[in-house]
Amino acid sequence: MSSHREAPEMAKDPVADSTDVYAFVSPDKPDTVKIIANYIPLQQPDGGPNFYEFGDDVAYDINISHTTRARADITYRFHFTTKIRNPKTFLYNTGPIENIRDETWNRPQFYKVTRIENGRSVVLGRGLTCPPVNVGTRSTPEYAKLARQAVHTRGKRTFFAGQRADAFHVDLGSIFDLGGLRPFNKAHAIPLEKMDGINSVQAYNVHSIAIQVPISDLTRKHNRPTDVMSRSSVIGVWTDASRRKSRMFDSRKGKYVGHGPYVQVSRLGNPLVNEVLIPMAEKDAWNADAPREDKRYAKYVDKPELAGLLPVLYPGDTFANLRAYKKPRADLNAILLTGIPSGVVDGFQNYTGPIESDMLRLNVAVPPSKDENKLGLIGKDAAGFPNGRRVGDDVVTIELRAIAGVTIPLVDKDYKPDGAASAVEDGTSTDPKTVMGSFPYLGTPGGGYQTKPGTTDSK
Amino acid sequence: MSDLNRRKLLAVTGMGAVAGSVALVAGPASAAVRRSGSAQEPVVAFVEDHDSDELRLMVGERELVVHDRDLVTRLLNAAGGF
Repeated sequence: MSSHREAPEMAKDPVADSTDVYAFVSPDKPDTVKIIANYIPLQQPDGGPNFYEFGDDVAYDINISHTTRARADITYRFHFTTKIRNPKTFLYNTGPIENIRDETWNRPQFYKVTRIENGRSVVLGRGLTCPPVNVGTRSTPEYAKLARQAVHTRGKRTFFAGQRADAFHVDLGSIFDLGGLRPFNKAHAIPLEKMDGINSVQAYNVHSIAIQVPISDLTRKHNRPTDVMSRSSVIGVWTDASRRKSRMFDSRKGKYVGHGPYVQVSRLGNPLVNEVLIPMAEKDAWNADAPREDKRYAKYVDKPELAGLLPVLYPGDTFANLRAYKKPRADLNAILLTGIPSGVVDGFQNYTGPIESDMLRLNVAVPPSKDENKLGLIGKDAAGFPNGRRVGDDVVTIELRAIAGVTIPLVDKDYKPDGAASAVEDGTSTDPKTVMGSFPYLGTPGGGYQTKPGTTDSK
Repeated sequence: MSDLNRRKLLAVTGMGAVAGSVALVAGPASAAVRRSGSAQEPVVAFVEDHDSDELRLMVGERELVVHDRDLVTRLLNAAGGF
């Protein structure tokens, strides 16, 4: 997945697990940037009685680099506090929740948001209320209204933190079964009948932290750039989650108590980097490192394991040109670690300097597309991934095709991609219910009562 | 003057800050007396390498790195006694 349960240790700590990051300029408010940071993967909507919530013991950061240093020049930090209104009941809610301030919601969650720039911290909001999870038809009968109540505007900045539908889509069941892509089942080394892709994230929820801030809030010159080719039009974005360095189990309280500084345990910039490119033994160390230290991982981008596997998994001439290509993948290095410099794609760049660092790079001077192409830049739509990432961008297909060689000609004009490189996909698509056209852009989370368990077959 | 009174602790606070590093001069063994600036909250002490003089203290949102072979030895002795 993008980054759901992508590392062995992090898979045991879902509350701190960054799953997806989106950063984009949208047509509805083109003078603002929206950044969405998702955590807590694969939430079953009917996962009561203890439903999902942010960690009170986790610090959640949205970081922006607007210089060439690959450092957090601006950070939005979120700390959560959970209360129990009635300690005598086991219930999450003691009646219908019709307003996010209703006393019937027994376990409300609140947050503080702090903006940090140049070492100066400014608290932008305290006691901001999250919505409850979507318990079901009786408990949260008008969920969309509850979510709207949890959109908080402070000055020119807007915040939301709470449960949403997961708009990511991927066929995990097939991809992690020896690199299977159901639409290409017959070409696989272990062939099966061709099938449509199955979205493994279908109907699952996540917890989102979303911000909508003026473009000038994030750019180097604190203006709204209009020159696409200017370095100061580009920002780098990544999220992280931190826990206290030491945790002791307090038997009297029945929970862990933290001591010492917060230390990073999870991070995310470009989708699928840690998931697919970083070896298993290094994934958790990668999560604890800062993007500016990514030079040590660049070899896995320059020679991705998956690019070597594709010609083996899909033998014959399917990926013959990819198999023969032995140069370091300068195309992937640019897309994922430095940004695309000028001169590579006509009229576009999102270069952040030579420091190799996994950040989602957004050129805010590129106008938002009114008619989005889900393939983003490789689909001739420069407002989409890897220029930032929109909710509807099909990042699995984009990255699969890039790794398969479709972007090599950007840096090596002599290379001719295999025909399969521009066709390869997992066969899944965005569930329209998971997307909204306005803040916070992710759709209403699935309700517990409304959920029907899926099917499985072990044969 | 007590052992602790002769020591100067340097703390670096805040998230993401580099841990403070302090070299301490061990004094003669004597009954320790709490000074006015002593911690007033839970403290976690961590000796990662029993052959070194390094002790890490987690207090509040700070991490202090103390270099004090005598203190580390006393902790090791205490820990080994059980």
